[in-house]
Amino acid sequence: MNEHIFDFSVVWHWLDELMLSVMPEWLTLTIECVLVALGIITLYAIFAMIMIYLERKVCAFMQCRLGPDRVGPWGLIQVICDVLKMLTKEIVSLRKTDRLLHGLAPFLVITASMLTFSCLPWNKGAQILDFNVGVFFFLAAGSIGVVGILLAGWSANNKYSMIGAMRAGAQIISYELSIGMVMLTMICLAGTMSFSEICQQQADGGWFIFRGHILSVIAFVIYLIAGNAECNRGPFDLPESESELTAGYHTEYSGMDFGYYYLAEYMNLFICAGIASTIFLGGWAPFVIPGLDGFNEIMAMIPGCIWFLGKVFFVIMLLLWERWTFPRLRIDQILTLEWKYLVPMTMVLLVLMALCVSFGLTF
Amino acid sequence: MNAQDIMFVILAVFIALSSIATVVAKSIVRAATYLFFVLIGTAGLYFLMGYTFLGSVQTMVYAGGIIVLYVFSIFLTSGQTEELSQTTKGKIFSGALLAVVGIAVFATVLWTHNWVGSVAVEALSKPSEDIISMETIGTQMLATDKGGFLLPFEVVSVLLLACIVAGLVIARKR
Amino acid sequence: MENQSYFGGLVSGVKSLCTGLGVTMKELFTKKVTERYPENRKTNVIPERFRGTLVMHHNEKNEHKCIGCGICAMQCPNGSINVVTEMVETEDGKKKKQLVRYEYDHGCCMYCMLCTRACPQDAIDFAPEYECSVFDRKALVKTLNLPGSKCAEKPKPARPAAPAKPAAPKTAPAAEADPAAEAAAPAAAPAADDKLAKLQAAYEKAKANAAAAKVAADEAAAAAAAAPEDEALKAAAEEAAAKAAKLATVAENFAKKLA
Repeated sequence: MNEHIFDFSVVWHWLDELMLSVMPEWLTLTIECVLVALGIITLYAIFAMIMIYLERKVCAFMQCRLGPDRVGPWGLIQVICDVLKMLTKEIVSLRKTDRLLHGLAPFLVITASMLTFSCLPWNKGAQILDFNVGVFFFLAAGSIGVVGILLAGWSANNKYSMIGAMRAGAQIISYELSIGMVMLTMICLAGTMSFSEICQQQADGGWFIFRGHILSVIAFVIYLIAGNAECNRGPFDLPESESELTAGYHTEYSGMDFGYYYLAEYMNLFICAGIASTIFLGGWAPFVIPGLDGFNEIMAMIPGCIWFLGKVFFVIMLLLWERWTFPRLRIDQILTLEWKYLVPMTMVLLVLMALCVSFGLTF
Repeated sequence: MNAQDIMFVILAVFIALSSIATVVAKSIVRAATYLFFVLIGTAGLYFLMGYTFLGSVQTMVYAGGIIVLYVFSIFLTSGQTEELSQTTKGKIFSGALLAVVGIAVFATVLWTHNWVGSVAVEALSKPSEDIISMETIGTQMLATDKGGFLLPFEVVSVLLLACIVAGLVIARKR
Repeated sequence: MENQSYFGGLVSGVKSLCTGLGVTMKELFTKKVTERYPENRKTNVIPERFRGTLVMHHNEKNEHKCIGCGICAMQCPNGSINVVTEMVETEDGKKKKQLVRYEYDHGCCMYCMLCTRACPQDAIDFAPEYECSVFDRKALVKTLNLPGSKCAEKPKPARPAAPAKPAAPKTAPAAEADPAAEAAAPAAAPAADDKLAKLQAAYEKAKANAAAAKVAADEAAAAAAAAPEDEALKAAAEEAAAKAAKLATVAENFAKKLA
């Protein structure tokens, strides 16, 4: 069934050869790098806007409201207006702050977010960064963002920012652990750390959430919880709990500097969902039922990127559902949840998964 | 000069400048930030050589772990305007001595190293999986034969256990 | 929660979390309560008890019920009511307070409704008016009595009063709030007004003249006798008559004392 899925790497190779035939290697590389960077930034911005709109609408619907519906039909232009507002706002520079670090921090956060964003497998052969240690690289790139958050909190010379940053740091570092363990569990099942191979395996033999049966489902749920915490989103949004810390670590930011945090928050949600759909739901791999060849043929006709985006938005809906249902936790409750519940559970899960894989109990 | 060389030069200059900035920075948080850039640059070098695993480890452990630890400990121990303490003669002397010793060691290593032409360039021409795969690293890490890393691996875990116990003892003491 | 075991707590926690998830999932598909304001201003229904602005009801003869006692102004915690009155002489040579201007500063009203509760005549009320924004703060100071309006006259003695007091408060404000409804029920509102005015008149008369009060009591009794077959209304009218008689006796005693 795999011959139906178009391999995008053909396109890239053709482009590469075309450019190499007319210009020297260094120029080709530079142009390719610039094009890829432009592609990342464009996709990043577009999906951030979609995410903001989606978040506001879903939040409103869960609270029995309508959400934005004034600007444009169904409020569709609202986000564009917000972006324009954000772009034209003044960036206030504060006295008695470390201006260099204050200016630098948002870029660290957004860089980390973009690096992780480029790990997503959009389609077969359409992946920006594809290492043999892709999952590991993803975790590593994600950990850069913490430095940005801590610096933002410190450089603002504001106690709210500082407390917010400390909370964010403690929380993100803690939850990175269970995210890493869950990923290890799935790597254990996949036997590879490369995102493209993980997807390929799932295209060949079914999604991991089905192949790892109950263990995968538990891992998926834990990932959803830890992922929300990793993105600093409710019910784990107390680094920026507005009732006590005004806005947490980005209290003192204005204009587009704040916009970067805003973007990064939503894109981290997207990335979190993207990785969940890659390692659990098969990335670009279509949904197949063994035996039903006609059904599988039709499923394979749908392009891989549609499959990927569909799964990503499904997971985003789950994350939003979680976010808008539960009230905010206290910091000690958050850390209790992580260290007393999620970490032991993921450890047991990892061992069980290793046993299942070695005894061939997976599908 | 091909693209790899250009990237190497860029990274090297970046690392060197960040290192100098780390040393001369007045504010301790700034010094930590510059150190962060040094470590990121080093990770960049690994990626340039195709050692993605090492690059990821560098990013995760040093940039994402050690620096965060540094920054956390700075936050917990010093105030906002805390600057590095004044330089005294003794400090300058010991610093200079350390620098000289460091340069001497570094130069000796460079001098005595048996340079083998263009290994890096050859390695770069291969796909990264061929250089060192995850399987190789994993088996090597848990191998008991010659060149295996099982013993250091286990010893590290004992060290971590000791750290955890020490942490518990400190936390329990009232 | 503390007495639960680790796994018991885990299970009950997951259960309660699932309950919450179920609630929000249901909410996602329920009908939304948001009102799209400028579009729906024709159909928007504001609850009757909404306190938008203070109004003074006038009947179709441009008469209000305010006797200018000023209790509302005294009750107002913010001093947003100013009652301007003057003393006039009635045709029978008595001095009487009369309302000149009823000024209400909407800008400093806090909608506590103490004024309407205190009003002995039910002359003022809160209307569910909500488009109250203006460009000038001065425009918020309103005069509630209409130009040329006056206090409702005493009712004609011969006129029978059909609906009685218990029914009146319920029907009257609702009817007056909506002109259409008032037009629809022309009988109810004025009759109720008349009844109130009659009681008031009876009281005032009694204060001046016990004999007149007795007349009023008789009148009320007559009204009760003349009331329609409706049992409730009859009973109510009889009750009103009894009240009037009682008032008359009180007034008589008062008058005797005065004498």
